[in-house]
Order: sequence, then structure tokens, then C-alpha cells
Amino acid sequence: MRPLPLPDPGRPPLTGPARLLLWQGRRQVGVLLGATLVCVVGTVAAALVPWQLGRIVDGGLADGLGRTLWTGLAGLAGLGLVQVGANVWGHRLDVENWLRAALTTSQQIGHHVTRTGDRITRALPTGEVVATVASDALRMGEVYAIIPRLVGGIAAYLVLGALLLSTSVPLGLLVLLGLPVVVGVLSLLVRPLQRRQAAQREATGRLTTLGADTVSGLRILRGIGGEDVFADRYRAQSQRVRGAGVHVAQTQSLLDALQTLLPGLFLAVVVWSGARLALDGAISPGQLVAFYGFAAFLTQPLWTASEAIRVITRAVVGARKIITVLSVPEAGSDDPASPAEPPAPGEPLEDLASGLVVTPGRTTAVVGADPDESARIALRLGRLGAPVLPDAAGDAPADEPLSAVRWGRAMLHELALTEVRGRVVVAESTPHLFTGPLADELDVRGGADRDALHAAMAVADAADVLDSVPGGLDGEVEEKGRSLSGGQRQRVALARALLTGAEVLVLIEPTSAVDAHTEARIARTLTDARRGATTVVVTASPLVLDAVDEVALVQDGRVIATGRHRDLVTADDDTGRAYRAVVSRTEEVTREAARR
Amino acid sequence: MKLPVADGPALRRHTAALLRRHRRGLAGVVALHVLAATAGLAGPWLLGRLVDGAVHGTTTSAVDRTVAVLVVAVLAQTVLIRYAQRAAMVLGETVFADLREEFVGRVTRLPLSTVERAGTGDLVARTTTDVDRVQYTVRFGVPRILVTTATISLTLVAAVLTSPLVAIGLLAGLPLLLPVTRWYLRRAAPAYLRESAAYATLNGTITESVEGARTVDALGLGARRRARVDADLREAFAAERRTLGLRSVLFPGVDTSFILPLVAVLAWGAYLVSTGDATVGAVTTIALYASQIIQPIGELIFWLDEIQVGATSLARILGVADVHADRTEGDARPGADDTDVRADAVRYAYRPGHDVLHGVDLALRPGERLAVVGPSGAGKSTLGRMLAGIHPPTGGSVTVGDVPLVDLPLDDLRGHVALVTQEHHVFVGPLADNLRLADPDADDAALERALRAVDAWDWVAALPHGLATEVGSGGTPLTPAQAQQVALARLVLLDPHTLVLDEATSLLDPRAARHLERSLSAVLQGRTVVAIAHRLHTAHDADRVAVVDAGRISEIGPHDDLVAADGEYASLWRSWQRE
Repeated sequence: MRPLPLPDPGRPPLTGPARLLLWQGRRQVGVLLGATLVCVVGTVAAALVPWQLGRIVDGGLADGLGRTLWTGLAGLAGLGLVQVGANVWGHRLDVENWLRAALTTSQQIGHHVTRTGDRITRALPTGEVVATVASDALRMGEVYAIIPRLVGGIAAYLVLGALLLSTSVPLGLLVLLGLPVVVGVLSLLVRPLQRRQAAQREATGRLTTLGADTVSGLRILRGIGGEDVFADRYRAQSQRVRGAGVHVAQTQSLLDALQTLLPGLFLAVVVWSGARLALDGAISPGQLVAFYGFAAFLTQPLWTASEAIRVITRAVVGARKIITVLSVPEAGSDDPASPAEPPAPGEPLEDLASGLVVTPGRTTAVVGADPDESARIALRLGRLGAPVLPDAAGDAPADEPLSAVRWGRAMLHELALTEVRGRVVVAESTPHLFTGPLADELDVRGGADRDALHAAMAVADAADVLDSVPGGLDGEVEEKGRSLSGGQRQRVALARALLTGAEVLVLIEPTSAVDAHTEARIARTLTDARRGATTVVVTASPLVLDAVDEVALVQDGRVIATGRHRDLVTADDDTGRAYRAVVSRTEEVTREAARR
Repeated sequence: MKLPVADGPALRRHTAALLRRHRRGLAGVVALHVLAATAGLAGPWLLGRLVDGAVHGTTTSAVDRTVAVLVVAVLAQTVLIRYAQRAAMVLGETVFADLREEFVGRVTRLPLSTVERAGTGDLVARTTTDVDRVQYTVRFGVPRILVTTATISLTLVAAVLTSPLVAIGLLAGLPLLLPVTRWYLRRAAPAYLRESAAYATLNGTITESVEGARTVDALGLGARRRARVDADLREAFAAERRTLGLRSVLFPGVDTSFILPLVAVLAWGAYLVSTGDATVGAVTTIALYASQIIQPIGELIFWLDEIQVGATSLARILGVADVHADRTEGDARPGADDTDVRADAVRYAYRPGHDVLHGVDLALRPGERLAVVGPSGAGKSTLGRMLAGIHPPTGGSVTVGDVPLVDLPLDDLRGHVALVTQEHHVFVGPLADNLRLADPDADDAALERALRAVDAWDWVAALPHGLATEVGSGGTPLTPAQAQQVALARLVLLDPHTLVLDEATSLLDPRAARHLERSLSAVLQGRTVVAIAHRLHTAHDADRVAVVDAGRISEIGPHDDLVAADGEYASLWRSWQRE
């Protein structure tokens, strides 16, 4: 079996579900053909068992352990062994077909969402994207597992048809034409059942959501009360699910009964007319047994056919959803066709809208009365759009127009995005931590040794994290850093940003969740660690502002003053007052007190 | 701290108790299935008789009569299956509804200290994945196991009744079937659990990539995330290959053990026919039984497999019952006006021998604002939880009006002290329900007052259905700041005299946090407040400041006194406002 995942999952056509399904099928056509061949052999062998049984009943069984019987039994055992081999081999090929399609599609989706940036969250809710991997890709894979079985079933049907007609034309016609009618009627009856099952699934889904919701909020619930309300609510929904289940039981049990009744009656008709033919001597007793066996066997390929219809319908729906996800454009897809010459290291960055100039090799702080405004300037420096709420997809705002930032001689949007991302790193104030060993999650660009990791953790004052993650640097960070406090998360993210060693590092409110003691230490170590490198910090904390090389005060989207913190904060003019109003109300209080 | 998992004996005890509670329903279901399976055996038996008739000569009317009996048997089986299946499914739904309701009831009553420390991940997994898995087993497995077991045993009985001698041939498969099945079942459950864990990890990775898509883009993490997806897929593939390997042994083993009895019955039957000990019809009947039994045995093996997986989930669900209460209610109640909360020589250790608090004494003055500052890991949050009565202290006591907090019933405790943490959660349901958690009897006017107090009424009134708007997962999304305002409005309704705020706004985006300060001050009005803070202006504005360091209160007093005392706090304050 070819190991998965493939080194390159490929890029499927996104023009329609049928094209997608065909494209994937062509990529595994060898396995598909192999599986089909094995399935045909296996199903035909299984179909012939009743025929062989009939021959044994006719020739030999009555004569004891003669040569004829042994030959007959050897034939039966031979058919059996072919079936055994075909079953296991066919199953392995089925699984390979399924896995190839399902895992490769999952891989395509898993790779694509790492290339889109937050366009994916703007376009679709997270749950829908995850569902394409958790369910749609798997369902798409089922198509490639069922098609060989469908072909095998058709082959068996044809072989048996020939055998039946050669034995007795009326009985053969009865079986060959009657059975599809029976199975067709049954698959029509499945529809109302599926509706009720869907209702039950929906009620169950709501129950699961309710349970998960209660548990996620359990700390709050236990803190302020309301447990009974929630237990009651869950019980009510649980009883609704039970009701839906009873509803399903009505239809399901009726269907089960009909699945006994229709084939049972059909079998009785076959037996009755067969026995009459046998009585007239038109067929032998063994052939009667064979007809009984055929009628029982042939329901299988017919069920496979109706199952195949269901699988294919589901796969088309799934493929459509997969296409929606894969069609979200990649970040950088709006790069110019021929990107501009990248600026040499040490060129200044200038945000034309605000007038902010980032001097290379220095740490610049951006501060303003409206923190959103300062943050937007910082995001522009990294060619990032404004953030959106994760859950507000649908009415999300469009990308901000690529605003004009000059970097040396080039404009930022004229460069290739990979060039920008490689050299300018923007770390937002509530960045996402990913699960994995702490050392790996810190060293996202690779190549940092233990000392470098410890040094970065020291700069971010995050040494305490090494104690709270069991195993320290080799310990696992839990999902979203859940086992860490808010302050710890922020400091780990800061260490991660520092370790990128970016030429230009833009930090947005990097110390908003840490205590003042820690903030004071970080302010000192951070500026030391970035000495000589270009750093931009959006902050309103006097502790940080005091430590940076230069402060830019922003008002109404424009830089109105630049200078050192200690100069701005003491300046006895409008700028000084505006600056003090922004930086700290306690500053204002103390200054007033001092004046008095 | 991990939540317990029920062990083998406990699991059997619980299951037996569950079955006993429903024994009448269960007996009825079993009886119906036995009858249905009996009717299902008529086909091969009657066909055998017809074969005998054809061999030895019979009449048209005899054939008609035999087929008429067959039709009656089919009709009887149809009716019996209808009621047997319905009864089994209804029973499964009822048993399972009992089970999950009991579980969630128990979860909502878990001790405060367990909930605070165990984290929600494990509990969420038990409520969703494990409950779903048991549900699948109960809903589909239990009825099918009843049917298949009844069919298999009755087929064997019918074969013996047809001809005990020929029926011996049916046993030919057992020497292969039993060891292969045993071999497989021993290995299957862990292998399938590994498989579902692999897919859960993959889904988790995709979730993270999507939720953190912005960070992935900004930090250039794409290649790493793709490597992670590939690693998850490799594990999923390895897990699939393992279960496929197991099935590659099981399938041929089982298939072969189905052919053996067929061949054996025919050979052995032919011998018996030749000695006159059996008829061709009897041999035919039993040969047909031998092929008819294949499907139910295969299905039974499948379900035995599923049952094992279901049992591990059931053990996790039932394990929650093994968490013991962390407190017992006493009879003493503080007086109506007793609002003074004090801590005496409070010690606490999460692990025995590792004290996080070393004998803290603290008397809160009613109505004061106390800011708690100190470095990370000093024990600020632990102290906060002690003061809110979340954990019983390992030494010393925290009292309100001389009654230990942990001796109070929860409803009373919440009326005295409440803890507000960084976490906020919007529950699925109408916004009004989210607020009524704190006070089930509050009318809409009271809800509006509470929302106005926290400055949230404007946006609530602008929601499509106001207070009745569905919020939470799947409903109208609220911003983190709005969610926090809802949490604060709940506090207004709860109306405790003392509040412990543990960095209540630090998880929010700092920009949102600034907007929240007005809402917060409305809630604090007229209450004793302990604010664990990282912003020094909170400390400056407080009546007193407590500096916690290494599990002790190292300094306490008004801001000005502490600055004058020139200790740790003073140096920090100077660095904060250095000019």
C-alpha cells in the first residue's frame, strides 16, 4: 500500500463536484481497477455457492461419500477459498481507495487553510471548514470504495442471470425481474425513515451542543448558580431526543419488518413455483435449492446499488463544500505579477497616511488616544488587514484597501508578500498559541538552540512558564494555551515573536495582560534585546514608553509629535498635555498634586 | 488534576444496576426477539421438506400446504420483528436518556474545587465524544446484539432439532472461529481508539489553523502548520493500517470458519444419508442453516468490537460519579448584617507538602477596595479563590461573620462572595436566560436595570429580539467585551456584598478592556472588593493595597502609606511613574 500522506496532494480543479471527483479518481485509477477486478471475482464466486450446493444435493448427497460428492465438495471449498481471498484483498483495496481520496483531500484542505490568512475565517465559520475534513472528505472517499463493489455486484447479477435462465426461463425471469422491484420498493420506503433520522440527528446535535455549552461554562455556572436551570434544560432536550428516537423506532421497525416480509414472500413464491417445477421434473431438487440460494444472495448487489446512490449523492454534496473551502483565495494572491526589487536591509519604513517614519535600528513606540488607530498603523506596516471577530463571518468587512507604506524605494504592496512576511513580523496583542512542545511553538522559524530559547523567554520574563508547563521546554502547550494564564500566554507569544529575529518587529500592546512588576522588567529587557534592530511597539504604558528610543504620538490618524517619553511627558505645551492625557490618568493626578 | 475513570468492577456494577432498573422492558424485548428468530427458521426447514418430497415423490397439495406454512411463518416473523425492534429501540432510547441525564446532572454538581482545577477540556470530551459513542452502542448495538444472539442460538437449536447427528457438522468452524475472534477482540479496541484519536487530533489541528489563521499568516507559520497536518495524516494512516492489519487476519479467519461447517455438514451428512441416519432434506436444511448463520455471527463480532469501545467511554462517563464532595454544609449562618470576610492563618497546597500560601491573615473591611498586587506565581489567584470560598483551605479558615465560607450552602455562599475571573462564556439560549442564571426570579425590568447599570442596555435593545435574542454558539455573536458586560450584569443580579476580581479584564483585547471600566465601576458600587490587578492605577485608586509575595502578604496598607514606607511597592510605583 502506498504510504500516505503524499508529498504533494496536488491542486484539484474547482469548477464543479463532478470534475473534482473525476480528477481524484484518475489519480488512483490503478487501485480502482485492481479493486474492481478482485470484487468481480469474489462476488461471482459467492454467487456460485448456491449453484454448487444444488449440484451437490443432486449428485452425490444421496449416494454417500462417493467420488462425485468429493468432487462437488472440492468445488465448493474452491469457491469458498476464492471468496476468502477476494474478500480480504478486496477489503484492503477498498480501504486504500477510501484512504487515498479521503486523506489526500484532507491534506489539500489542511494545507490550503494555512495559506489564506484570515480570509478563510472571513469567508466561512470555523466549524464548517473543520467539517469538510471531519466528514466531507471521508464521505468523498467512500465513492471510491463503493464503485468496485457496485461493478462486482453487477457482474454477479449478469452471471447468475445467465445461469438462472439456462435452468428455467420462467423461474429465471421471476427472480431477475422480481427482485429489483422488491428492492426498489424497499429503498423508496427508506425515505421517510431518513427524514425522521435527520430530525433525530438534529435534536441530538442540539443536545450535544447544549451539553458542551454547559460544561464549557461550568466554572461560571458553579460560581454564580443556575445549575438546576441547566440540568433541567438538558433534561428537556434529552427527552426531546428520546421522543425523536421513539419516532424513528416506529418507522425503522416497520421498515425492518418489511425487509423481512417482502423478500420472505418473494422467496415463498420462488420456492412454490420451483417446487412445482421440481414436481413436474422440469428442474431437479438441487436446482430448487440453488434458486432458493440465488434469491437470497441477489438481494445483496441490489442493496449495494441503492447504497451506492446514497454514497454518491452525499459525496457530491461534500465535494461542493470542499470546493467552497479550497476556493478561498490565498494571501498574496493579489501580489503584482512582477514584484518590485526588495529594499536593502536598513531602509526606513514610512506609513504615508499617518506620516509615521520607522527609523532602522531603533525602537519606536506608537501611542494615541484611540488605540485602534495606532494598531491600524502598525498592521499596515506589516501589510495586514484589520482583524475581524471570529464568529461574525458573513457580514465581515472587506479587506482594507492596500494602503501606502513606503519601504526604501519600493511601496510595500509592490513587493511579494513572502518577502514582506519574511522580513516584517507583526505580533498582535492577543495572538494565537498552538498546541505542541513548547520549544517548537517558540522557535517557529527553526534553528534556535536551547540557549536562544532561554534567552528569549528571559527577555519576555516568561521563565515562570517553564515551571507551569510540565516538562518545561519539552512540555506540551495545550490548545490555545489554555493551561497558561492570560499574562503567561502573552509573554510566550512575545518570546515567540522575538525568536523570529525579524528585521522589523511590530508588537501591538505586548504587555497588556501582565502585571506592572513584570511589565517594568519586560520594558527594559525588550529594548536591550532589540538594540540595533528595528522595532515598533504600540503601547500606552509609561513603563514601556520610557524605555523606547522614540515615541510617536498619534491623533486623528496623524503623527503629531515625536520625541523621548521623558521630554513629551514634561512638555508644558499642547502636545505635552495631549500626551499626558493619553499616557496615564495617574500621571495627570500626580502632576496636579505636585503643582499644588 | 485528572478526573477519575470508573474501573472494571464499578463499570459492571453500574451496568448491572442500569439493566436491573429496566429489567421488565428488557425481558419483553428478549422474548419478542426469540419468537421472531424462531419464525425466521421456518424457511430452510420447509425447503428441506420440499427437497425430501421432490426426492421421494409428493403431491401438489402437499407442496401448496408447505408453502402456505412458509407464508404464515413469514407473516408471523414480520409482525414479531416489528414489535421486537420497536421495543428494543425504545428501550435503548430510554436507558440512554437516563444515563446521559444522570451524567449531566452530576457534572453540574461537581465540587467547585474540582471544576476550577480539572479544566474543561476533559469534561467537554466526556459530554460530547463519550456520550455520542455510548449512544451509538446503545441505540444501534444493543438491539442488534439481541437479534443476532437470538438468531444464532435458535438456528443452532433448530439444527439440532432437525437432526442432532448432522448438526454436529456445524461445529467444524469453531476451532478456527473462536481463537481468531479472541485474538482480534483483544487488540481491536485500543487500535480503533487510536484511530479515532488520530482523527480528533487532525480535526484539532485544522481548527487551530483556521482559528489562528491570522497568526499563521503574520508569523509565517504556514509551512509548520502544513507539516503538522501531514504528521497528523501520517498517524491517521498508520492507525488505519493497524486496524486494517487486524481485519486482514479476522476476515479470512472468520470466512474460512464459515466454509468449514458447510463442507463438513455436506460430507458428514452424505455419510449419514448413506447409512440411513439422515435424509437428504435434513442435510439440505442444516446446510442452509450453516450459510444463514454467517451474517449474524459476522454482525455479532462487529458489535462486540464496538461494545468494547463503548465500554471505555462508559467508564469515563461513570467515573464522574467518583468525585467526592469537597465540603459538608454546616448549620451555622452569619447574621443578616455580617458582611465582614476574614482569613486566619490560611494555608493552601495543591500538592501535599508544596504550600502555595503560608498562613495568610487578612481582614476585609466592609465596603473597602483592596488591590492585591505581586509577581506572577506569588499566590494571588489562590488567595482570591480562598476568599471566595472556592477551595477549602488546607490550614486556617476563611469566614464571613465567623462562619467558615465552605460550611455555607452554595446558594448562601453566592449571596456573600462571588469570584469573577478572566473567563467569560455566553451560554446558548436567549440573552435573558444568560442573566437569570444569577437570579431565576428576576423579571424583565430587573434584567434591564442590571444591563443599564453596566452600560449594556443600548446594544441589548438594538439586538434583533432584545432580551429574547438567541446568543452563544450558533446564535447572535457577542464581542468579548459584550460577553464580559453580560457577566457583570449577572453580578448585579446576584448582588453579593463581597466581590473577588481576578484580573477580570486582562484576557480581553486591551482596547476593549478600557471601554469596560465604566461598566465595572457600576458593579463595584457599595461592595467590598478584592481586585487582583496588574494595572497599577487600580492599586492607586484602591483604599488599601496588599502586596503578595511567595505565598505571604508582605505589605498591606493605603497606597500613600506604602509609598512612604519605601518597600517593594514603593519601588514599583516609582518605576511606573518615573519621569
